[in-house]
Amino acid sequence: MKIFSFLIFFLISFCKFSFADEQQIISMGDIEFGEYLGAECAACHHQAGISKGIPAINGMDAEVFVALMLAYRSKEMENPVMQMIAGRLDDEQIGSLALYFSKLDPPK
Amino acid sequence: MSKISRRTFTGIAAASVATLSMPSISLGALPRVVVIGGGAGGATAARYIAKDSKGGVHVTLVEASKRYYTCFFSNLYLGGFRNYGSIGHNYYGLAVNRGVNVVHEWAVSVDSAAKKVNLGSGNSISYDKLVISPGIDLKYDTINGYSAEAQTHMPHAWKSGTQVQLLRNQVMNMKQGGTFVMVPPPNPYRCPPGPYERVSMIAHQFKKSNPTAKIVVLDPKNKFSKQGLFMEGWQRHYPGMIEWIDADTHGGLKNVNASKMEFETDLDTFKADAACVVPAQKAGAIAMAAGVNNGDWCPIVPASMQSQADENIYVLGDASVAKSMPKSGFSANSQAKVAANHIRGALTGSKVFDARYSNTCWSLVATNDGIKVGASYAAGSEAIDVTSKFVSKTGEDSALRKATYEESIGWYEGITTDMFS
Repeated sequence: MKIFSFLIFFLISFCKFSFADEQQIISMGDIEFGEYLGAECAACHHQAGISKGIPAINGMDAEVFVALMLAYRSKEMENPVMQMIAGRLDDEQIGSLALYFSKLDPPK
Repeated sequence: MSKISRRTFTGIAAASVATLSMPSISLGALPRVVVIGGGAGGATAARYIAKDSKGGVHVTLVEASKRYYTCFFSNLYLGGFRNYGSIGHNYYGLAVNRGVNVVHEWAVSVDSAAKKVNLGSGNSISYDKLVISPGIDLKYDTINGYSAEAQTHMPHAWKSGTQVQLLRNQVMNMKQGGTFVMVPPPNPYRCPPGPYERVSMIAHQFKKSNPTAKIVVLDPKNKFSKQGLFMEGWQRHYPGMIEWIDADTHGGLKNVNASKMEFETDLDTFKADAACVVPAQKAGAIAMAAGVNNGDWCPIVPASMQSQADENIYVLGDASVAKSMPKSGFSANSQAKVAANHIRGALTGSKVFDARYSNTCWSLVATNDGIKVGASYAAGSEAIDVTSKFVSKTGEDSALRKATYEESIGWYEGITTDMFS
């Protein structure tokens, strides 16, 4: 997926967090909690992983997921909806979501 | 994606048969949820309870319509951006993928002591927990001269379906250079930006097919949702076409005459060639029949969406008093997930997480000119409280507005999948 390659590049280039931070956050996660929290994401992100106007997040690598959410939370990445959603997630919640979405089937 | 095991499916099938033949008799082991209303609140609640309980809860959805046309995006149909079929959805996915027992009937009353829902056919269905998500009914008599009969000349088109098709037809057939009158509803009402997106979409259509037409908005309010953004857009895309008149200026709508197509105000009597009149609203009738209302709307417990009147009944979406949360499909979908989690916990002992709500309303002003407003919410002790919010800004560049419109299309696909698949 072109957009994901770009995002990963963007994050590796500019993000101040190291992968050690992401792994620490993922280790705090609980997959059942992630499933509950993930229902909020499913209002917009298509559950069959269709990427049309809004990127698919099913099957996303957990570290990339965490890095993206941290970038939205710190407002380094733009999009007011995502800044709002990420803005009220603590590390445990982000880790839980990352675990949950990483286990779903990626878009075909 | 969870699949229903053969054993579970057999259980559900047996339960469904029992529901039809012996409607009042308990089914024994499986706890039972009945959901009234198959829109953004009800369909989502039914889907999440069935999906997440993995066959552990028997879910019945009572919805009169076999095909559901979303209110959200019906304005895009009015503007010619969507065809009518694209906003229609059926209940196949809920029945087949999720094992929900879909009953196409009207729920006419609720016996909360016996925990039974009575159907228009005379049958009844027992529940352990009941979800009521009936949407709105219109208070026709709040506008002198307006009625269920008058809506054929002056459609409200506020519950999607045939009324929206009728309004589209009247917009397309209005005489060249004619006047269209729009009467938005007073607060609180379904879809706060909706009347103004509707004005935008009708203006968009007129710009193409009737460029000398005028639109007069006779508002019962003095301000409205995303007002600065809409007015900027009207000036930019439809200069001179739209006249918005606030309540203080026209002094109130005294009377409408549907056969003469006239609107009487203190300021003037306006003559229309086509019109849309959206009256004040209240919770759908079944909420009143169930006795969970206080006046026009239904108070809820912020942490769970349970009715304040009955802990075994949950009220979702437009019908509920969610205070700062607007009456929108997105809100109803969000509330449904909180209720589903709470109901499943009560019936199966699954973990109940803290309520968290969110809403975003996208509106289309013109081709590739999308705007949005949204907020996140948490349960306070008295009400659902805002935790953060955002709104598009005036003067945004066209690339951002196009991305916002494209985002809204993605959201439509996402939320309808989240309701019906």
